[in-house]
Amino acid sequence: MESNSSSEAELKKVTRELASYKIELHQIRAYLQCILQNASDLIFSTDAGGSLLSFSKGGEKVLGYSWIEVVGRPITDLAEDPETFEPVMVSCMKDGSGVALDVPFLHKEGTTVYCNASLMDLINREGQRVGTVGICQDITRWKKLQEDLVQVDRLAEIGRIAAGVGHEINNPVAVIKEAAAWAGEVVSDAKGLSADDRQELEEVMETISAQTERCRNITHKLLGFARESLPTKIELDIHELLKETIAFLNPQLKHTTIKIGLAFTEEPLLVNSDPRLLEQVFVNLIANAIHALLEKGGDDRRIEIGTLRKSSEVEIRVEDNADGIPKEDQGKIFELFYTTKPPGKGTGLGLPISKNVVSNLGGELTFESKVGVGTTFTVRIPVS
Amino acid sequence: MSDQHNIRVLLVDDEETLLEYLSKRLLKKGFAVKATFSGEQAVEVAQNETYDVAIVDLKMPGIDGVETQKRLRQIQPFLQCIVLTGHGSVESALESGQQEAFEYLLKPVDYDKLLVAISEAYKRKVEIQTARFREEVEKVQMAGMGPRGIRKAIRELEKIYGIE
Repeated sequence: MESNSSSEAELKKVTRELASYKIELHQIRAYLQCILQNASDLIFSTDAGGSLLSFSKGGEKVLGYSWIEVVGRPITDLAEDPETFEPVMVSCMKDGSGVALDVPFLHKEGTTVYCNASLMDLINREGQRVGTVGICQDITRWKKLQEDLVQVDRLAEIGRIAAGVGHEINNPVAVIKEAAAWAGEVVSDAKGLSADDRQELEEVMETISAQTERCRNITHKLLGFARESLPTKIELDIHELLKETIAFLNPQLKHTTIKIGLAFTEEPLLVNSDPRLLEQVFVNLIANAIHALLEKGGDDRRIEIGTLRKSSEVEIRVEDNADGIPKEDQGKIFELFYTTKPPGKGTGLGLPISKNVVSNLGGELTFESKVGVGTTFTVRIPVS
Repeated sequence: MSDQHNIRVLLVDDEETLLEYLSKRLLKKGFAVKATFSGEQAVEVAQNETYDVAIVDLKMPGIDGVETQKRLRQIQPFLQCIVLTGHGSVESALESGQQEAFEYLLKPVDYDKLLVAISEAYKRKVEIQTARFREEVEKVQMAGMGPRGIRKAIRELEKIYGIE
């Protein structure tokens, strides 16, 4: 009887223990479930042959598949290139666990997803390897950012080189300018030249002078762009500045049918900004509109310049009804040296410089364009 | 522009070919021109000869344009300097307080602007020089020297101020 009661006690103890294990197990399962449901990383497990057994919620976000779609499929199906993925797995797993960086996976929609992958062997009680658990962190955006940074750095370097080249080019250009001017004087003093030869030589000298002037303009614009100088801000009336700019450009409008309309707010538009820089932007935008309208031809050619005051910023719009910018070119108009104007007319510097200037003033330069309707450039700058 | 014949111009630039043509053109216009190819050379030349206007390149090996004009004006205090600069260094030269120059011009220089600058710089030089000369003459007269002493002092001044 005594052994009976002791084994009964034993049974009760085991039952109690079992119950508490069950609770613990339940908690662990809930805990794991919670991790798998909420982790933003892709967490998967495979059997010993590499077929997927589980696939976390995060994985659905990272690769676009639901777990139903992938369970049972080999893990290599998810890799961008299965053949290079195998060795990564193998080398990683030599010591039972490992980390592989920048592993390319393939999103359901075909894009590449880069992950840092940690892989571990799953071992059963007998010490046999029964599968693999992997945690993969999506680093695609980070990688993209890193590439962008490299690109930005390269552009900055190109900018510095261009500024240096601009400076250096300036000297020989100055020499050519002087030499040509001197040659011009020699020609005009020379005796015994036929009238035709004299005229021809004079034209050639003028061409050389005009072309060196062109070089000079380009290098100075470029250097102005590359130079890092802080804007000097004063209080100014945007309306006055715009009127001055239009007056400055007016000679270009003579003998054309182009009309400029003003849609200004009634009150003066006062801001604290750099008038010289803003004028440069307005000149660029209006000159571009004039150029586009000259290309269009016809009688109905209008530029409308409008202003608007918002709580902490002012808005200046330069709108034309020219041919508009084709969709495929719209991404390029702020690129350095991109121009659609004929050689000698455009440097491809105006718009990128303007954009740079406006953002240095704490504002924003945007545009909208529709082929056959026209283009509107909008400058937004803070009031102070 | 007949008075150009009297204007003595000192050119300072390490770009020798540039100076060759520039000085030819200025000579033809009637200026008296001396070309030097470094700040050091310019300073040396200025020890022995008087100039009215110096045209100095800002960026040169050895002493630069700012230092060159400073030294030139130590030797000839009435000399007016026109400094030629690459883009963007006008402001930096002005900001650093080196406002001694009569004018800063961008390179490659616009010839007509340069001619205007030279004749204005010359005018300024003559004005300052004459004003100072009068002051000194007055001083001599106030000093109570005899007529012979005054004449001698004025001759000395004329020599110093390069007035014939």
